[in-house]
Amino acid sequence: MAIEGEAGVPAVSLSRRRRMRLNLAAPGLLGLPVAWLVVFFVVPIAIVALYSFDVYSLFPGKHGFTLDAWRAFLHSSVYLGLFWKSVKMSLIVSTVVVALAYPVAYYLALSGTKRKYVLLLVLIAPFLTSYLLRVLAWKVILGNEGVLNSFLAWVGVRSRDHPISQLLYSRFAVVLVLTYVWVPFVALPIFVSLESLDRRLLEAACDLGASRWQAFLRVTLPLSLPGVIAGFLFVFIPTVGEFVTPSLVGGTSGYMYGNQISDLFQTGFPDWETGSVLALFLLIVVAALTATFARFLQVRQVTAS
Amino acid sequence: MQEDRDVLERRLSREDLLKLAAATGGAGLLAGRTGIADAARAHFAAESGRLQVLDWAGYGNDGGQAMFAAYVKKYPKNKPQFTYMTNEADALAKIHAGLKPDIFRPYVGWTKYFATSGLVQPWDPKLISNFKYLNPFMVKAGQYNGKQYGIPEDWGLDAILYRSDKVKPKAKSFSLLFDERYKGKIAWYDDITMIQIAGLYLGFKNCWNQTDAQLKQSQNLLKSKKHLVRVIWSSETNLWEAFGSGEVWIAYAWPNDWVQMKKKGLRVVYMRPKEKPLAWVGMFMLLKGSPRPKLAHAYVDAWSSTKSAKWLEDNYGYGHANTRARPSSSDLLRVLQLSNPQAVALPNAYLDRDIPRRALYARMWEQVKAA
Repeated sequence: MAIEGEAGVPAVSLSRRRRMRLNLAAPGLLGLPVAWLVVFFVVPIAIVALYSFDVYSLFPGKHGFTLDAWRAFLHSSVYLGLFWKSVKMSLIVSTVVVALAYPVAYYLALSGTKRKYVLLLVLIAPFLTSYLLRVLAWKVILGNEGVLNSFLAWVGVRSRDHPISQLLYSRFAVVLVLTYVWVPFVALPIFVSLESLDRRLLEAACDLGASRWQAFLRVTLPLSLPGVIAGFLFVFIPTVGEFVTPSLVGGTSGYMYGNQISDLFQTGFPDWETGSVLALFLLIVVAALTATFARFLQVRQVTAS
Repeated sequence: MQEDRDVLERRLSREDLLKLAAATGGAGLLAGRTGIADAARAHFAAESGRLQVLDWAGYGNDGGQAMFAAYVKKYPKNKPQFTYMTNEADALAKIHAGLKPDIFRPYVGWTKYFATSGLVQPWDPKLISNFKYLNPFMVKAGQYNGKQYGIPEDWGLDAILYRSDKVKPKAKSFSLLFDERYKGKIAWYDDITMIQIAGLYLGFKNCWNQTDAQLKQSQNLLKSKKHLVRVIWSSETNLWEAFGSGEVWIAYAWPNDWVQMKKKGLRVVYMRPKEKPLAWVGMFMLLKGSPRPKLAHAYVDAWSSTKSAKWLEDNYGYGHANTRARPSSSDLLRVLQLSNPQAVALPNAYLDRDIPRRALYARMWEQVKAA
């Protein structure tokens, strides 16, 4: 005896049809993003890799597979030194950004204020203006005749003839501007992970005699770590290869690894081979770091709200 | 009798045939030539679309309109469309990556490189009515193997700009770019020209073709002095901003920068170093296979006119290859020696020239920045 479903359709065939539809839906839904990734991410990277091995070249003529550019890069203290300098700058930026973003996210998520979404909107308001404009605004603030130096001269801390010139075109300027730019980006994932925190755990901690500080250290902080790590990576990955901000406010001392990649592709005489090596090395390091940190990340905790 | 007539007719007809053949051949030849001319005319007449120009910032619709106004007036339907280049290497990368401009503007040191690259074709100077007014010395610098690959237009110097109210140079020398007294107040230029300048400062005879040891010395000098440098500028607006706001007092600069800083009311000197400045001449080049050669020639003709040249000198402070142009400013006339037809040559300056090991120079310069 066949089990009948709605409108007299056998239930067994109905569920099979649903399963088939699901089976077809998955590749259908995934197809586009996968194709997108392959065409616009995997293929370009493969092309860059071919450039790095001199299989492809910007210039016509005979070319063949060689590891020369890779060998030169790995033996170059200059390029590796610049990479290390960029990593250090990026680490400083990421740490400072997390340290600044955490209290903001904590307040928004746990203070119980009714206006938290309005405040969140205020936090991300700078995104409504162009990135370039936001960075250039810092030139007006940090320059010799900028807002800060003018203020210092006005209060008599510095004379107008001797402004603090290290504020602009320096490593400090790059770190400061990158920190400013990335704080909202980091506040968001931390906010999300704190929002999803089970408040009963905090109540339980208090009931068991934990002070607010202890509850924070033993409950809130560990449970929000995925958001913190995600935020840290959100900053570290793009800033280690950053080149726009250093080229605008970095000067000679704020020159970063990303600037070198950009310059190798277009300044002096195009050297796409070395440029590709530098770009791929950055990609490999970033991928390795992401893979390492991904273990500590629980996507649901970062994204759930 | 009949036989004689037949022979005569036969003979006449052979002559006639020969004449006819000759006439037909000549006519055919003529017709052929006319056909080629017609075809060329038709080809030129068929040139369509907007002229594609790859040029430096400031020379397009971003302020340089006066220099090609005559072209726009003549071809209002084929207005130029600009893509901007930051330097020749950038242009080279763009062209190799698939950009297809009709014309672009490298500087004189790249003439040989591009002429031998297979990317460009020679101009037909007969199609440029203002060609006869161009400085013969610069015209010659645009030739390779007797063919005119570059049409000279703007020219200027690589020298030093400094604030006379802040800086007291010990000598008229490139040494000012390496002066420890002005740490944090110096700007260099982001190009391999810096390797050449280091070579000149170190007294190398041929700064365009330095030996390995000389290159190393030049690189070491730049590396050891980099800590003095606040900014390495790649576009003039960067320099104007840094110099104008007092962030830097000394800079590698072009004549236009001197003009612009004077306009800002700064007390500036454009120093001609004792090592002699490097001189550059902008050369319009025609891309091989350009579908708009007639429009390209017309565009270059507009740029070469006396009116455009004077405008360039008055507004940008550069020299122009048109020998009939004179700027309104006597200062500029004096500093650039615009009345001297060989102002860009010795004993005034070193005209920039081909760098055989350009790729190596570039790598060494990149290492200076990365160090």
